[in-house]
Amino acid sequence: MRFARYVGYRLLTALPVICGIIVLNFLLIHLAPGDAASVLAGESGAATPEYMDELRHKFGLDQSLGMQFLTYVSNLAHFNLGYSYRNDADVSSLILERLGPTSLLMLTAFGTALALGIILGLVAATGRNSWRDNVISLISLVAYATPGFWLGLMMIVIFSIGLGWLPTSGFDTVGAGHEGWAEVWDIGRHLVMPAVSLALFYLALYARLMRASILEQTGMDYVTTARAKGQTERRIMTGHVLRNALLPVVTLAGVQAGNLIGGSIVVETVFGWPGIGTLAFNALQSRDLNLILAIFFISACLVVVINLAVDVIYFMLDPRMEI
Amino acid sequence: MVDDSPSNKISRRTALALPLGLAASSGTIFSNGFAKADEPVRGGTMVMIVQPEPSTLAHYAVTAGNIPPIATQIYEGLVTYDWDQNPQPSLATSWETAPDGKSITFKLRERVFFHNGNPFTSADVQFSFMEILKKYHPFAPLLLAELTGVDTPDAMTAILRLANPAPYLMKALAGRDLPIMCKSVFEGTPVLQNPTANKPIGTGPFKFGQWDRGQFVRLDRNDKYWKPGLPYLDHIIARFIPDAATRSAALETGEAHFAGYSAVNYADLARMKSNPILDTTMKGYEMTPALSVLELNANHPPLDKKEVRQAIAYAIDRKVILRDVMYGYGQPATGPLSRLFKTVGFYTDDVRNYDVPDRLEIANKLLDGAGLPRGSNGMRFGIHLEVNSFGEQWLRQAEYLKQALAIVGIDLTLRSEDTATWLRRVYTNYDYDMNEPFLSQGVDPVYGLNKQYLTSQIRKGVTFVNNSFYANPEFDDILNEAMREPDHGKRAALYKKAQQILAEDCPLVWLIDVQYVSVFNRKLHDHTTGPLGTQQAFERAWLEK
Repeated sequence: MRFARYVGYRLLTALPVICGIIVLNFLLIHLAPGDAASVLAGESGAATPEYMDELRHKFGLDQSLGMQFLTYVSNLAHFNLGYSYRNDADVSSLILERLGPTSLLMLTAFGTALALGIILGLVAATGRNSWRDNVISLISLVAYATPGFWLGLMMIVIFSIGLGWLPTSGFDTVGAGHEGWAEVWDIGRHLVMPAVSLALFYLALYARLMRASILEQTGMDYVTTARAKGQTERRIMTGHVLRNALLPVVTLAGVQAGNLIGGSIVVETVFGWPGIGTLAFNALQSRDLNLILAIFFISACLVVVINLAVDVIYFMLDPRMEI
Repeated sequence: MVDDSPSNKISRRTALALPLGLAASSGTIFSNGFAKADEPVRGGTMVMIVQPEPSTLAHYAVTAGNIPPIATQIYEGLVTYDWDQNPQPSLATSWETAPDGKSITFKLRERVFFHNGNPFTSADVQFSFMEILKKYHPFAPLLLAELTGVDTPDAMTAILRLANPAPYLMKALAGRDLPIMCKSVFEGTPVLQNPTANKPIGTGPFKFGQWDRGQFVRLDRNDKYWKPGLPYLDHIIARFIPDAATRSAALETGEAHFAGYSAVNYADLARMKSNPILDTTMKGYEMTPALSVLELNANHPPLDKKEVRQAIAYAIDRKVILRDVMYGYGQPATGPLSRLFKTVGFYTDDVRNYDVPDRLEIANKLLDGAGLPRGSNGMRFGIHLEVNSFGEQWLRQAEYLKQALAIVGIDLTLRSEDTATWLRRVYTNYDYDMNEPFLSQGVDPVYGLNKQYLTSQIRKGVTFVNNSFYANPEFDDILNEAMREPDHGKRAALYKKAQQILAEDCPLVWLIDVQYVSVFNRKLHDHTTGPLGTQQAFERAWLEK
């Protein structure tokens, strides 16, 4: 009951935050010089002033800022994210199309990074200064320092051009007409390189953090106490140290989970992955207001939800925490 | 009909001469053995790279260069062009221009059907020209300015009525420039909101299939195409890969068969050429002239002085830009028109020559004469250059320009902004000194010259028109006369004079006559069958099995 009330309270207090974000986003985006009509006309090479006026009228850019804001808010209140005139498509359908590939890539990369990172950190910490600690530390240092786009391109050179094992880019083989498991296999093959190049950075981060965190916890008094009670080292590690050591990792993962919806522009660009990152980037470049505002809005909501989830996970890991 | 380009024939021979070891090492490409390369084969899916992904396929209202490679597979024009740029029958079977030049009568092809099953008639021509193109096509104010109406005496005859002769119009009737749409699809709906904007319906060899945004557009064979037996391909996939290195890799692995319009970085071309499964061609861009230029804002002193503008033109070594920025693709520009207009007799290099051995002395002398002595730091004056936001090469060009102009004492400050901000600054606020755009010159001098240099084209808020405030009544008269002159010889003489005046007044500095390059897989044949290249249908393209 107390738990449900807490979640309800948190969601309620998130409302003003989201409203603030809506207003701020709207104002910020209008501060940027240039508009969608001039970008569209610019790409066309030439256009008459009448044509551009008609475009602006169609886009609703000829209305006052206040009027545009009211339209936007009333649309949002009706769960309508608006229409992208530049793309001649509904914003919600544009985002939905990308949501699947984005979450597939991000969840795969993030999940792998988190799971492997924690395990590697544990392995390294339990054998401190042994060869496996040194190997893991070295690998994570290299992975942490390597730029994702370079890693991606090198993988393409090796695995696509050199060995011919994996496709260079895209989400699936277009026009191949795969179905069932063949399709899963096909998408999986396309997923490997983008997921790895994205995951390696996070993996290094979590492994290093996990290692440091475990080493810090093993010096604590409660570990000495447990040892004095006669508990086995294994039991001390799994029952006491691990839970405490996970807290900083969960905190960091929570902050970074906000990127899940945003996608990764760099990796999406290198591998031609149809993600939300490039969609947002192009929308910003072309001043596609409805689209960019919708992506901002959804990201903001997601961050609020994830923050709440992280707090709940804290509570589960460490019952001493107040909620 | 026009046949394959010579370069393709050579490439086939080289492909056949490949050592077997090489062929085997390039994976599955040759695994089915060599098909007989001269006999077209039905079937197959061609993958082409289009860069960047178009925002819309509303080809009739947006003329961005990444739309035609897809849209011209679907929409056709009244005519098409042979290698000499003469009109050839397409949706029109014959045409005749009236002796006074004020009307053109088109006989239309019978038994042509749109992809929705509707028959093609003169009503579609009339509606396309008067209700769609004349009203919404960005080039209509130039190309269709004289068009007053389209008469349809019968279902298979369309007469374009003109207020004055428009000799350039016969050059702009291909599907790339003035496409024909289906009347019943558009009638009674707002044109700009038409649902077929992104699901186009035309008469072309390929039908629209599917668009997965961020990934690809799929086009399917039009089984009822009016040219019997064509097209050869079952599908065309236009893939969008944002990263240049990955685009090259997709060609190298054979995942993609074709990349036109320099979708492959110039820097990668040498590697592409050495790849046994790939080849390149510079053909297919004969009707796509373009110049890279410097626009100078004559409202910002000292750029109002002709001598200063000429000095800038003298100070730049175009050969360095060609070598270091364009990787040798293209030629130094000699004046305001691309060399590609030589084919139709409009280009002249009999103009003031800025590429002379003593160009630096001349530049310094001109600047001294303009009352701009060097200061204590060696600089005469400082101006800003707006860096073109459409790609990395423009930043490299800007870096060279800064060095080149410093030699004659002009201190250049580079300013990089995103596209929307850049367009607003340069074409609406006019808050710039020097700008380095890339100007498409269209199919006739009327396009490239009129919009860039006529006094009437100083139009605040309109992109890529006269923003250098060049205003010369004598020049305006020549251009307006040339626009309506039906006699080709007289027109050519007028344009020669116009080019000489421009080169002397130097409102812009012309840098490079751009050369695009296509990269293709050697299994793909007959992809470049005319001067419009990628911007015409791949109806005759075929893939070796």
